[in-house]
Parts: sequence; C-alpha cells; structure tokens
Amino acid sequence: MHNKKEACRNFQRGSCQYGERCKFLHVIQQQPKSNAFGFGTQAISHQQQKPNPFGFGVQNNAQSKGVNDFGNKQSQFKNTWTRSSASSGAPSLRQPDNQPQATNHRCNDPESCKRIIAEDFEHERPLWKLTCYSHWKNSPCDIVGDVSYEELRAAAYDDAKRGLSLQSIIERERNLLNSKLVEFENFLRNPYRGPAGSAAAQQIPFPGATTTVLSPTTQNTVAPQSNVPPSVSSFSQLGASLNTGFSPGPSVQSNNASGQPTSFSNSAQSSNVFSANNVPSANASISTQNFSSSSIQSPAFLNVSLSNSEVVGREATNVQLGNNLPTTVASGDSNIWLKEKWTPGEIPEEAPPDAYV
Amino acid sequence: MSTFGAAAANHNPNKSFEVAQPPSDSISSLSFSPKANFLIATSWDNQVRCWEISRNGTAVASTPKASITHDQPVLCSTWKDDGMTVFSGGCDKQVKMWPLLSGGQPMTVAMHDAPIKEVAWIPEMNLLATGSWDKTLKYWDTRQSNPVHTQQLPDRCYALTVKYPLMVVGTADRNLIVFNLQNPQNEYKRVTSPLKYQTRCVAAFPDQQGFLVGSIEGRVGVHHLDDGQQGKNFTFKCHRDGSEIYSVNSLNFHPIHHTFATAGSDGAFNFWDKDSKQRLKAMSRCSQPIPCSTFNNDGSIFAYSVCYDWSKGAENHNPSTAKSYIFLHLPQESEVKGKPRVGTSGRK
Repeated sequence: MHNKKEACRNFQRGSCQYGERCKFLHVIQQQPKSNAFGFGTQAISHQQQKPNPFGFGVQNNAQSKGVNDFGNKQSQFKNTWTRSSASSGAPSLRQPDNQPQATNHRCNDPESCKRIIAEDFEHERPLWKLTCYSHWKNSPCDIVGDVSYEELRAAAYDDAKRGLSLQSIIERERNLLNSKLVEFENFLRNPYRGPAGSAAAQQIPFPGATTTVLSPTTQNTVAPQSNVPPSVSSFSQLGASLNTGFSPGPSVQSNNASGQPTSFSNSAQSSNVFSANNVPSANASISTQNFSSSSIQSPAFLNVSLSNSEVVGREATNVQLGNNLPTTVASGDSNIWLKEKWTPGEIPEEAPPDAYV
Repeated sequence: MSTFGAAAANHNPNKSFEVAQPPSDSISSLSFSPKANFLIATSWDNQVRCWEISRNGTAVASTPKASITHDQPVLCSTWKDDGMTVFSGGCDKQVKMWPLLSGGQPMTVAMHDAPIKEVAWIPEMNLLATGSWDKTLKYWDTRQSNPVHTQQLPDRCYALTVKYPLMVVGTADRNLIVFNLQNPQNEYKRVTSPLKYQTRCVAAFPDQQGFLVGSIEGRVGVHHLDDGQQGKNFTFKCHRDGSEIYSVNSLNFHPIHHTFATAGSDGAFNFWDKDSKQRLKAMSRCSQPIPCSTFNNDGSIFAYSVCYDWSKGAENHNPSTAKSYIFLHLPQESEVKGKPRVGTSGRK
C-alpha cells in the first residue's frame, strides 16, 4: 500500500489514468500542505468543471523541468503569438479571452458563494481597506472602487499644499474608509442584490463584458495640454477627480471601437475632437465638469452603497444623496461643509466653495 | 509575533548597507542602471537622486552623485538601455528625461492628464511607455511631443512590467492587460486578476511565459499566458503575520537565476523559486514597510527602501519624525539560486 500523502496532479487537472491504482491522493479540494504559504494549484474546482481541452494526462510541456528550458519555451511563446497576431486585426475577438480557468463563474451555488464571502471577510481581510473585491478568482469585481496607497497619499499631499490641516486630512480619509467599510458590510449581508450587476452599472468598461468588444483602441491624441488641472480638493472627489482626465470616457471608447484602423506609426492623425473636448473640460471649473463626470463615474462605492442602503432602509440618506446628485452644492445645503463628520451618502461630490476652504 | 524590543538596529535588522543621504520623504521607486551600479531613487519629496554604488569585496559604498527636482512627488523611474539617461515621472503628470551621465539637463518628454504611475523604456521599439491614472498607456518617441500611440486602459494604471515582447499592465479593479509589443495597439489578452483584492504590482517572467501579480492581500499569483499552461497557475500567501495581512508592494526577478523577490508592507522581503514552489529565504522584518525594491543588472545587489508607504493612511504619517532609508543587500547564492524541490518523487 502506498502512503497516499500527496495529491494527484492529474486528477486535479481533470482525470488520472491510474484511477484507483494511483499512488497519489485523488482528492477534489486542495490539500493544505504543510507549506504555510498555501502553495498549490489555484483553480481546482474550475478544472473539475472544464475538461482539459488538450486531453487528459497529456503533459503539455507544462511540467517544469526547472529553469533550464528557456530555449524551448522561448520558441513556444513566439509561435503562439505570431500565429494569433498574424491572423489579422483583432486577436482578442478570435481568441477565447476568457480562459478555461476564468470568468465563467456564475454563482450557481449562492450558498457556497456566500460562505466563501463570509470566510473571506472573516479571515482574509487585508489591512488596506480601500479596495475592490471579488469572491472568485479571475471573476469581475463584486465591489469596485479601488484606491491605491499612492492615490490617497497624492490627495493628502495636495490637500496639505492647499493648507488643510493634517487633522482634516485624516478626517477625510476616515470618512472614505468608513463608506468603504459600510459597502463591504452591505455586500456581506446581501451579496446577491446584484453585486456584479450594480458594480458593473457604475463602471463603464467593466472587465467581464467588454473584453471581446474592446480591441483596437487606436487613438492618437494630441499631446495633453500643459495647463495643470486643479488638484483634488477633497476626498469626496477622489473618485471623480481620478477620472478627470477621461470624463467622456465611455463615449470615446465606443467611438474608437467602431473601427479606426489607424496604423501604429501614423502619429499625425489625431482625434482632435476628442482631445479638444476632453482636456479643456478637465481643466475647466471643477464644479460643473467634474460634476457631470461624477454622475457617470462618481466614486462607485458611494452609488453602490446607496442601492444597498435602500435595502437596509436608510431612507433619509437615500433622499439626501438623491437631492445632492443632480444639484450643485451651492444650492444644496452648504452646511455640509461645516459638518465634522459625514455619514455615507452625504459626502458632496464637489469642491467646497472657497468660503469653506 | 515579532518583538522589536529596544534594539537600535530595528531599522536595519538584516544588517544591510545603508545608502548615504537618503531622501527626506518616502521613496516611491528604485532603479539600477542596466550598465553599471548607479542607483536612482524617486521620492515623495519631489526629488530624483542618483548614487554611485561601489563594491570592495564585501564592503559596499554609496556616493551621492546628482539629483533633479520635479514640481510634485515623483512616482516612477527607469533607465534607458544605454545606461546614460534616466526617465522619471509622477504627480506633476510629466516624465522628465535626464541624461545624467553626460551631464545634461532634464527635459519633459511625456505628459498625461493625471499622475503618471509607471514608466518603462522599451529598447526594441526605441519608445518610452507611460502608464497613468488617467486610464491610458502612452508610447513616446522622446524626440516628439505627441505620443506615438495612446492605448486606452479599462481603469487607472497601477502596475507595469515589460519583458519584450511581453508587457503586462495592472489596473484598478483587478484588470490585467497583456500586450504583445510586436502588435501594441491590440490587447493580446485581458485577464481578471487571480487574486481577490487590489492589484499592487506585476512582474513578467524572464522567459515571457507568464507573469506574477501581487495584491494587497498578502498574496502573489503566478499566471501563465498559454492556455495549455493554465494548470501551472497557482497563488501563494506571503507577508502575513498572524491575522494581519499586508500588501505585497514589489516583485522583482533575479536577472540570472530567475528566482524572484517580494517586498511587503510588513517590512520584510523574501526570495522565492516559483518552479519548485518554495521560499528560498525569509529576511527579517524592518520596522517600516518596504514600498519598493530592485535588483541591479547582475543580481549581486538587492536594493530596498524602508519608509512609510501610506498603508495605514495619513494618521500614521509624522513628517517630523519620519525617516526613509535605502538599503543594499548582497544576496548569497543560497538565497537566490533556484533549488529542486525537496522530497518530490520522480513522477512526471
């Protein structure tokens, strides 16, 4: 009898020719190895569903023979790429962009997905909270609205330059953090209030659907103007201003996708209309422009939490945000700027009027 | 639980060589020249600094050479392949080209609508690639003021890696876009990250078969491009301490051995071998995060910075007491040379 300690790799990939005779463990889930880092093949259960298109047990040159195989791999790599790029225009259309291991997760078993989410939130919460999240690897985000360390820091430095005190910067960051935490909470409680749906609604080119559409984005823009758009003036604008450079993003992309076969080397042509509209609008008064952009691409997490907060029954917040969105701050309640602490949903979309800075 | 105790060597528990006259604010990127041991560091104090690193056996010395200033914090840097010129970009939305070895003045060669997070020089195309938070990637011929090509990205650029002809861009909301630089206008493939949280860094395999992706959740994903190699994909956990999960800030392949290093917000850096799936060496944790790191051209020096990376927001930032360090570690062969996996049977 063999001591079955190690998991059978072939079985985990789809099938093993030895069957019961196999001297390795035929187990579906990943064996927790004594290795604390959790090394092991990632997409086990995926591979259970998707039969290996290359045939079972075939060693697709994939077994690593250590680092000496560069020669082989080099040519293998070249061949694949030349093949697909040689066959005209849009390889991403032809190619199964969604790999066997990827995005076809459909939450067929909502209960187990809920468990995964609960587990993740219990044990796998990273220290950095301003992040997107997906409960399934290679799947689109359930929660969107990434803010990176550098973005937060850049905003803080900008604020400091404008004279904001460290304390108020900390306040703003904390508010951002709290809204994000609320969003995560709400998602945990109601993951199927259309997590991907509502997230997708906020994002414009969301990864899952547009992969096949968005191929040639050959856009030769005029060099960006050197006038510097005003810096982020408040954290509430963080999401909006981060998108400042590309406010008419969605329409632009659809324009480009509808086929502009400019060649790579042709730099003289430029879609001037696009850039002319875009750059000045980014530079122009933040209050109106960012505002329109924010209605499209406002900090996604604010909108998502809105829909979730409806569920939870926070009507007051809902109404307030609803009022704020289509109106400018000037006509809304300007007391907002005097408040010490903002509840999620109250955070204004725009810069404070100078009086309050 | 690491106890830092009262040891004064907290900020350098690995006894690495400390670079002289480090920046006055956090370091955002480190770059070694491809030709010699010149080190560039960009910082949140708006400066780009250059040191000459010299080795005398086991002794290492650093000599500050020159520096330039941007108007705002500088986020990224890279050298041109001739080892004469440095590109740096950042919050001022520009990239400056600095021919420092010939004593030239910097000039602006690239612009975006939002801060430039990543920059890469592609010698095979003679172009500079810049990735920005304005959701574009632009290619520049440094002699022209207009980009040669602008590539739309699904979201803000967070990470970039180039290993010609492979280029991988990591954006916000977990997109990973793969490009074949022989056909740069088309996305070769778009992958949603195998990790569940925000992408922090990417690194292309030296053999271009795939790439590594690091996230804020103390995890690294190893991803192969070829359909047939998907079975070799895996992820592993790192930079965790009990229930505290730190982010992986930097991924660097060793230029000779093709093993790689990770550096994290926990202040530690580790060396790994992805082919045998093991950790080769765990280094001691420093008292501050490591936001960036890099190998020199022959892998004999590993430079890493120890300074605050904003992983806990503004409240942990104390400008009056904050100190930033750059350390140089000389990796031993056992730390960076790949090892066959212990205990594997000879099965295929």
